[in-house]
Amino acid sequence: MSKHKGAALTLSQVSKRFGETDVLHGVDLSIEPGSFVAIIGKSGCGKSTLLRVILGLEPASTGHVSSDSDAAHARLVFQEPRLLPWASVAANVAVGLGERGDGPEGVAAAREALADVGLAAKADDWPSTLSGGQRQRVALARALVSHPTLLALDEPLGALDALTRIEMQSLLENVWQAQGFTALLVTHDVGEAVALADRVLLIDAGRVALDQPIDLPRPRRRGDAAFAALEGAILERLLDAPASAEAR
Amino acid sequence: MSRYQDRKERFPLAWIVPGVLLFLWQVSASLGWLPATILPAPSAVLAAGWALTLDGTLPANLGVSTLRALAGLVIGGGIGFGLGLLTGLSRISERLLDPTLQMVRNVPHLALIPMVIIWFGIEEEARLFLVALGVFFPIYLNTLHGIRNVDPQLIEMGRVYGMSPRRLFRRVILPGALPAILVGLRYALGIMWLTLIVAETIAAKSGIGHMAMAAREFMRTDVVVLSILIYALLGKLADSATKALERRFLRWNPAYRR
Repeated sequence: MSKHKGAALTLSQVSKRFGETDVLHGVDLSIEPGSFVAIIGKSGCGKSTLLRVILGLEPASTGHVSSDSDAAHARLVFQEPRLLPWASVAANVAVGLGERGDGPEGVAAAREALADVGLAAKADDWPSTLSGGQRQRVALARALVSHPTLLALDEPLGALDALTRIEMQSLLENVWQAQGFTALLVTHDVGEAVALADRVLLIDAGRVALDQPIDLPRPRRRGDAAFAALEGAILERLLDAPASAEAR
Repeated sequence: MSRYQDRKERFPLAWIVPGVLLFLWQVSASLGWLPATILPAPSAVLAAGWALTLDGTLPANLGVSTLRALAGLVIGGGIGFGLGLLTGLSRISERLLDPTLQMVRNVPHLALIPMVIIWFGIEEEARLFLVALGVFFPIYLNTLHGIRNVDPQLIEMGRVYGMSPRRLFRRVILPGALPAILVGLRYALGIMWLTLIVAETIAAKSGIGHMAMAAREFMRTDVVVLSILIYALLGKLADSATKALERRFLRWNPAYRR
């Protein structure tokens, strides 16, 4: 598999208002190419909005988001798999290729991406025959098939059971290490953030309240003392943060 | 679960009641308990069917009726599908057209027969108009409903993944609306035959309905019953055709997979 460069991102004074509600207040942020950044925070803190503004799905009210190159190519993994039930697993992955996905090369690329997430054997099945974890792996393959330089994940493992979630975390870490994209993971699970990220951003009331580098060696073990200490500290900080009144 | 697994074994069971009824009907007709002017024997109906097939009356009338039904379906269903797409995809069209169409929908189309006869006489156009009007609404309503009920999360996914509006329609909206559209088609086919029966019975010079009315004049109850059975058969055929379409196009849906 070819190694693709990750995108670098710079946010300067990014704010976002929905009507009368301020969701993001002057966020300044610079994200290293190829790094894995986790964004955590309470419900309604603005973390999903931050992700959508970075991806350009929502325009920033003020400030701007810039990327290191015009070729920056972002893909989003949703909390739900959002597979087309009437298309085969391989055709769903080919959706990630756009018009290019229609030809035989598209099918080949889709099968390759499915193999990367361990689902090569399911290429011709209907999504309805897959388990929840498998569906989310197909959604991951759909995001990765076009070799994005930025992969954004909006609480992608939130709906999975604990065991499947841990499997998915190591899968995510493996594809990230293999492909070298920049990863932005929005999650409400501090353990997940510490297990995967180089850097954890805690968002509170539309601001970056904590910017915590995680330099534990990989693969990380949850039972580890250093792991547990970091997780505990971040969790405490998260719980201490005053509840934000704003809606997401 | 096992109730479904022995579907094949249960199958003959379903035929016992109709079989016994048919047998009783035949016996009472043969013994003269049931006068042929009230209800002819099943064998007499079969014989009439055979005789009319041989002299070409039945195939000719069947052909005329089928052609009318399909032409009305294509015209009315086509317009209904087109308008359903238009109102389903564009809010402005919906606000412009839907209230009027919903209002017109409350007029029973068969109530228009006197007007239709004044407008078109008893020519082909009259029957085409009635059938087209009858099938229009179920197809229109279900197309609109189907498009409106496509999972918005899938539409958002399509947009985020860079689908053009055209591609979004072909890959997400149309397949998502198809189950509802096929339900509309099934309703439409029922209304199609019903409308045709009424239209051919009241005002026609050919077709199965006309055959039945002509037979009534000569008290040929066997031909009347034959016509009724043929209508039933055609309705069943149309229903099976939609079921086949559902199995073909909704294979992905576990509810339609068998």
